[in-house]
Amino acid sequence: MGTSRFLPAVAALSALLILSLLIAVAAGSTSVPLRAAIDGDATARAILFQLRVPRALLAALIGATLAVAGLTFQTLLRNPLADPFILGVSGGAACGAAIATALGLSRIPGLVPLVAFGGALAATGAVFLLARRREYTDPTRLLLSGLVLNAFFSAVILISFALSRQSDLTAALRWMMGTLFGASWSDVALLAVLLAAAMIVLAALANDLRMLAFGEDDAKSRGVDVERVKLIGFLTGSIITGAAVAVSGIIGFVGLLVPHLIRLIWRRDFRFLLPLCALGGGVLVVLADLVSRVVLASSELPIGAFTAVLGVPFFLSLLRRSR
Amino acid sequence: MRPMLEARGLSYAYDGTEALRGVSAAFERAQLVALTGPNGSGKSTLLKMLARVLAPQIGEVIFDGRRLRDWPPKEYAKNAAYLPQDPDPTFPMRALDVVVSGRAPFLGRFAWESTADYDEASRALELCDAAHLADRYLDEMSGGERKRVFLARVLAAGPRVILLDEPLASLDVSHVQQFSALLRDIVDRTGATVLYATHDLNWAAAYSDRMLVMQRGSLIVDDVPAAVLQPERVRELFGFDADVIDANGRRWLVPRR
Repeated sequence: MGTSRFLPAVAALSALLILSLLIAVAAGSTSVPLRAAIDGDATARAILFQLRVPRALLAALIGATLAVAGLTFQTLLRNPLADPFILGVSGGAACGAAIATALGLSRIPGLVPLVAFGGALAATGAVFLLARRREYTDPTRLLLSGLVLNAFFSAVILISFALSRQSDLTAALRWMMGTLFGASWSDVALLAVLLAAAMIVLAALANDLRMLAFGEDDAKSRGVDVERVKLIGFLTGSIITGAAVAVSGIIGFVGLLVPHLIRLIWRRDFRFLLPLCALGGGVLVVLADLVSRVVLASSELPIGAFTAVLGVPFFLSLLRRSR
Repeated sequence: MRPMLEARGLSYAYDGTEALRGVSAAFERAQLVALTGPNGSGKSTLLKMLARVLAPQIGEVIFDGRRLRDWPPKEYAKNAAYLPQDPDPTFPMRALDVVVSGRAPFLGRFAWESTADYDEASRALELCDAAHLADRYLDEMSGGERKRVFLARVLAAGPRVILLDEPLASLDVSHVQQFSALLRDIVDRTGATVLYATHDLNWAAAYSDRMLVMQRGSLIVDDVPAAVLQPERVRELFGFDADVIDANGRRWLVPRR
């Protein structure tokens, strides 16, 4: 009973994800005949296996990561508005990246993502400590702390940009808008390992996490160690968000939108939604990246905008149809 | 006989405001106990402590001869089920899924509910006169219908101790009667101990074995209903004049106008 509608849903979304990945690999500003790649054409192979395939996979992983983080935060905080952005995790990452850019550190390769990751974790720690009183973490205080810290981060980002060199700024801005340009196999590997680990942790917590939906008192009375679940869940969500933002910059809306989209179709608990959100997030970002690459062949448009452009109409139509 | 559940000198203060002051009470098996008292008198705090939602700052809860803090949380949850005052799943959920989640303490870490769990959930829904609600979603139900689904969720675990925070509030009168009778029936059939908070003295007196009255964090009366529903006692405890009517060995309270 519990799994009877689960497997078909997973199968359907998996098929959709594979289809999107295939389209994303096949389409691009240069047409690459698949035949040529198979026949051993070096250029065609390079475009496919060094550019398009890692990029499509990275898009899927970023989408999955952000959607899973969003679902986790919404479940933990019992708040449909929670997502990595509202909690300040992404803001912390952006803030770290902006400061690094202002200091001219962006010219050292690989350093900005590292600082961004540190920023995400620092923001998480700050939000959690601000919301914690007497061994209890209040969800509303958590959201409020995130909101206020975000305002602070925005200010620091603006100041940093004002102090940055013009030449450094272009790259920083591109990062802020979210980009999968330059996706590498090492990014793919890093994120795949992190996401897999996070999924295992979250699956192990899933039976407890879904009980949180009924309120913390109720969950406690069912033997759930609520504070421990909140701490592990929040940390897991933050680490994967930090990694995703470090790799691809800020791709907004996925964490908020995907869990709601999935819930509009399958109204079930956390255990059911976890794999579906991962797959659905993957589909959304792969398609958004595809559109951002092919709309204007000469220049790439910010992918973060397209996750919203694609997701919002779909979301609104579902919302109107549901009661 | 050793009591099933025992509160020993429980005290609790929220940020310096005393909510519970040295409350002691023992509950035998197969007892239906009504917990009453004005708003803010400590009923919910006491229930939370017995449900292991709050740990007492002073005192001890004993279940089955063992201190509550020595019970592994999930083990105690298999024995005791608690219904908070305003349960609400944040996101829309189907009634049957809500009820089956009451079986959670019995599930392994990665396990899903089995057909047997769903059967248990359907039976609990039936008991609560809510079988027809199984496939409906909670956000489409009236307050009373939701209450019935949540009571079924409590029963789905087959608990020996049932702690309910105002389960009769927002029910229509025929369901208040059905519910009171249902609680009575569960107690008589399964030997469970049921402690429920309520403001309705008459329904409490008609169905319960025992009534506890709380005032400003203290337990001031612990007696059989007939002893609580006496004009002078009602005046002293609740501050209004009333007559009592005896019918078939039970009492009904009629306020004077």
